[in-house]
Amino acid sequence: MRKLAIVLVGLAALALVVGSPLPEPPRAAAELLINGAGATFPYPIYSKWFDEYAKVQPTLRFNYQSIGSGGGIRQITERTVDFGATDGPMTDEQLAKAPGELFHIPTVLGAVVATYNLPGNPSLRLTPDILADIFLGKIEKWNASRIQAANPGVALPGDPIIVVHRSDGSGTTYIFADYLAKVSHEWEQKVGRGTSVKWPVGLGGKGNEGVAGQIKSTPGALGYVELAYAIKNQLPVGAIRNQAGQFIVPTIESTTAAAAGAARNMPADFRVSLTNASGEKAYPIASFTWLLVYKEQTDEAKGKAVVNFLYWAATDGQKYAADLLYAPLPPQIAKQVEAKVGQLSFHGKPLLVAR
Amino acid sequence: MSRIAVRRATNAAMNILAALAALVVILPLVLILGFLIFRGSTALNVAFFVHLPTPVGEPGGGMANAITGSLTLIGLAAAGGVPLGILGGVYLAQSRDRRLPWLCRFLADVLNGVPSIVIGIFAYTLIVLPMRRFSALAGGVALGVIMLPIILRTTEELVRMVPASLQEAALALGLPQWKVVLHVVLPTARAGIITGVMVAVARIAGETAPLLFTAFGNRFWHRRLDEPIAALPLQIFSYAISPFDDWHRQAWAGALVLISLVLVMSLLARLATKGLYNRRGTYG
Repeated sequence: MRKLAIVLVGLAALALVVGSPLPEPPRAAAELLINGAGATFPYPIYSKWFDEYAKVQPTLRFNYQSIGSGGGIRQITERTVDFGATDGPMTDEQLAKAPGELFHIPTVLGAVVATYNLPGNPSLRLTPDILADIFLGKIEKWNASRIQAANPGVALPGDPIIVVHRSDGSGTTYIFADYLAKVSHEWEQKVGRGTSVKWPVGLGGKGNEGVAGQIKSTPGALGYVELAYAIKNQLPVGAIRNQAGQFIVPTIESTTAAAAGAARNMPADFRVSLTNASGEKAYPIASFTWLLVYKEQTDEAKGKAVVNFLYWAATDGQKYAADLLYAPLPPQIAKQVEAKVGQLSFHGKPLLVAR
Repeated sequence: MSRIAVRRATNAAMNILAALAALVVILPLVLILGFLIFRGSTALNVAFFVHLPTPVGEPGGGMANAITGSLTLIGLAAAGGVPLGILGGVYLAQSRDRRLPWLCRFLADVLNGVPSIVIGIFAYTLIVLPMRRFSALAGGVALGVIMLPIILRTTEELVRMVPASLQEAALALGLPQWKVVLHVVLPTARAGIITGVMVAVARIAGETAPLLFTAFGNRFWHRRLDEPIAALPLQIFSYAISPFDDWHRQAWAGALVLISLVLVMSLLARLATKGLYNRRGTYG
């Protein structure tokens, strides 16, 4: 009897000890927790931003969780989070399902690169049609005459090309497939666009890190990943011929250049594809990543915090992007974003304090 | 060779084989632990246990919030899952009715086989959507539901193993059934039940999928149970898929801490029950 009581009390005590949080450091009283969720791709820059922004606004805590673009769209639609994030713009159908008008606010740009594993890892030049035909399975060997013609002087092996793609749904796949659909009629007909598509050839890898890992360990492999993953894994990246006929190596600058060309014809809702962008220096497989916020905010304090943060991100925040291998917005677009942020409101009144 | 020598040789050979088999069984655990220590210990320091995460490239960040978060979630799950599971298990073993226990048992086994992400969606629909917010509470419920069938079924099995003679003796002395359960059945089955609870705790400690849409994760300390809360598996997941080396190191360290946490809890439970077991004598 007593022993049993001891055990039960012990169990209860264990649950309590385990269940109570450690004493917390003292903090200002009126702290606001703002939750956001969505794309995994911008997670590093967003966590950097929220950390830096906490130094500007110490009473705000922005909590961002990377649950994927699809999850971000779903959660902001359900209003379980204060803002969402996505790598691919929402469709009209998705927007219609949301209980309010949702704004897409571009934050930074990303590039999707073609990366490969060849002996000596030479710098390759790829034309859009070569890339499309490799992923369609029509070019099967590294020393195919068309690849060789685009890369005079590079010793290409006769090995088969092992195509690696994403096995999970992904904004990265959307950008890459969107690009191929723009440059190849056959791709558009046979495969099309989407966060996951029916790949004609190749092996699947989970996540950018999975694809990068497979390419690294498979001689003769070729795949697509976000620029940061290629750089951090020391993988070679292909220069891709853009609309202007230039072979462009993916870099922070050439990615930003892709958006600069689009600034003149930017639609008001920023839902625009930047792939195959015009411009001499534009890298052709680039995209915005967006934060999703309701135009009409339901909580004044939170709304104000989000709006001020968005303004800060489009201005002061941009300087942190390049260090983390994201391309900052071109200045023209940053200006457009500032104007858009000014339209966010609470009870019809703009939330952004004039500066 | 004499017969005795042949027997000795056979004996030695079988001994070696049996020892080898035992080694193979524990080898994966040793390899996992060793690899985790190899990869994770470089990022382990005091800061890891007391600081909040920092962005990429800033040194000194830790996972203190995720460690307390994981412990909180386990505590919440246990607060619901342990009493319910034990009481239910006793009912299943002791009930003289046939159909209801059969149905319960069947459903518990089905629940045990449900993928954890589905249970996450269940808690999401049940708690997150009506509350319009992610919360530690929702995470605790999801993990509690995962624990429940494990504890239920182990308790049932162990209560069944309590000798009927013991229970009959107690009944013959005039004890009502609830007293028999409380003072005879449960103490006798105690050691095994606690092992079952620890198995359930170990199972939920590493769950990631059901937490994604319930506990959600938090870069800061949680202050209330209706706020999102950090958890080690979530933190490990989002760091492991990032392109950055220092986050990878932190993810390894997080995994090492997580597995150590489970080991320490299991050890403590073993030690706690061992003393009781010895004093009890024959049964237990």
